[in-house]
Amino acid sequence: MERLLAANAWAVFAFFYLPILVLIVLSFNENRNVNIWTGFSTRWYGEILDNADVLRALRNSLVVAGVSTVCSTALGTAAALAVERFRFRGRRLFDGLLYLPIIIPDVTMAVMMLLFFVQALDLVNGLLGTRLNLGLATISLSHIAFNISFVAVVVRARLGQLDPAIEEAAADLYAGRWQVFRRVTLPLILPGVLGGALLALTLSLDDVVITSFVSGPGSTTLPVYVFGLVRRGVTPLINAVSTVMLLGSMLLVGLSLMVQRRPATLGGGNR
Amino acid sequence: MPAVELIGVTKRFGEVIAVDRLDLAVDDGEFFSLLGPSGCGKTTTLRLIAGFEFPTAGSVRIHGREVGLEPPNRRPVNTVFQSYALFPHMTVAENVAFGLEMRRLPSAEIAERVRKALDMVQLAHRADARPSQLSGGQQQRVALARALVCEPEVLLLDEPLGALDLKLRQAMQVELKDLQERVGITFVYVTHDQQEALTMSDRIGVMNEGRLLQVGRPEDIYERPTSRFVADFIGDINLLEGRRVDSETVELVGGHKIRVLGDPSSSHVTVAVRPERLELMSDSDRPPDRLNRLPGRVIRRTYLGDVIGYRVDCGGVVVEVKEENRSGLVVRQVGDDVLVVWEPEAGGIVVD
Repeated sequence: MERLLAANAWAVFAFFYLPILVLIVLSFNENRNVNIWTGFSTRWYGEILDNADVLRALRNSLVVAGVSTVCSTALGTAAALAVERFRFRGRRLFDGLLYLPIIIPDVTMAVMMLLFFVQALDLVNGLLGTRLNLGLATISLSHIAFNISFVAVVVRARLGQLDPAIEEAAADLYAGRWQVFRRVTLPLILPGVLGGALLALTLSLDDVVITSFVSGPGSTTLPVYVFGLVRRGVTPLINAVSTVMLLGSMLLVGLSLMVQRRPATLGGGNR
Repeated sequence: MPAVELIGVTKRFGEVIAVDRLDLAVDDGEFFSLLGPSGCGKTTTLRLIAGFEFPTAGSVRIHGREVGLEPPNRRPVNTVFQSYALFPHMTVAENVAFGLEMRRLPSAEIAERVRKALDMVQLAHRADARPSQLSGGQQQRVALARALVCEPEVLLLDEPLGALDLKLRQAMQVELKDLQERVGITFVYVTHDQQEALTMSDRIGVMNEGRLLQVGRPEDIYERPTSRFVADFIGDINLLEGRRVDSETVELVGGHKIRVLGDPSSSHVTVAVRPERLELMSDSDRPPDRLNRLPGRVIRRTYLGDVIGYRVDCGGVVVEVKEENRSGLVVRQVGDDVLVVWEPEAGGIVVD
């Protein structure tokens, strides 16, 4: 029985990681044709740096990820605080709606976003006579929209462990609302906030479906660009780009887990 | 002028009334305890004074100044929390300095006052430790120092000894009372432990279901409870049901007549007598006539070391008697016929 389980574990492991291994190995293939191994080479990694399209897509990705991470972290943290700490009308409804973007299928979300932006841009352009179009701004906005939920979930988990009496103690010791947040609440939930931010960054860098719907001409991000290339046939260049993206994502997720696992001395107890 | 004054204070949480039209005045420099079972509204009352809750109705005053709607940081009071609520990401010294920093005191003065406060609670040697590295008793003392260093007009304490073990709790009770007398700050202390309240307080307010039932010195509360709840909640007590015969006499359920002091206002009365105020005698002892007596039979004896407890069946009424284990005490056996005897002054009439 035990052996069977061990074998199963290995099988699952192989099922997950063999394709990745294949991808990485083939990214070092010298031959232009992916299926014919002719020798080891790093030429495709060099070509990434020479390829203006790839570099532009990478730059777009980083801009969108940066903007959406900062905004969604601030908004998601605020949302978590609101739901966890304050009593207000419609709190339960807000609580439920907050997590909707996690549940909604990407495609649905993408169509929603596209429809919304088209209508909104029409309205704004009509009223102000501008010629705004889909682009990095709309991509960033949609990434912010879905990332808020993920940040809120992570931050809330941390807030839930925080004894509210600690914040009351700060207020009792003459700290105003903002000082309580800056000196006590934020330092104590910081691992959650950083974890949420890194998660948001990862999700933003990896998103294809929503981004491809709401992007405009010249605003392609890296994963969308790769997706486009694949339709014209897989080349070792794609393998190389994918490998770079994979390593980047793994690094971010690893970091995210690490900061969240920082020792949880959140008071509330008599240890 | 009272240090703390609550006038007609009511606090509702939705449909629940946590505090119900409460009037209370705590004197300057007093050690005042709010005593009651969990859910009686004592902690909510404390939180109303601290500013963590705002009253639904009524007025909260500190040294005459209305503070009912002011946030906690604008009130001249500090709190010691049940969970201590120390800041886990700061050292002991940083914890104690926090309130002074928020008030923007010069850093030299802060350092000096923090040092003195830590000396006062004998924790100067742990100034650089984190709260998680301290024992429960030490954390407790840091919480105390952190609140007292601000020299509040009133110190609020929410069951601060609840998490400590018995020995430490008793030691801290004495320490707290000493400290309060030394610093001369008004203490408002919330507890469900009657022993703790009796030991430390100048006055006690007993609460139940959001209402303040009786306020008085520990001996008033213990010796002369005015209500059945207070009598029953504090210490052991015999509650004897009966019917008023005349202004001095009550006929108990079993038919025996006893004398009580004070005018019973209704025909059905409850007489409360502490077990240690009762004495066991034999017929041959000839107790004086002015004493109340109930003939009965010992049905259980409990040896407690310093006292011996008896349960005596007096025909329809069962009473508990505690006799001090002094030399020369006649120890009764189960089945002995005895007279339960007490001074009429020892029994008080309580309302339901």
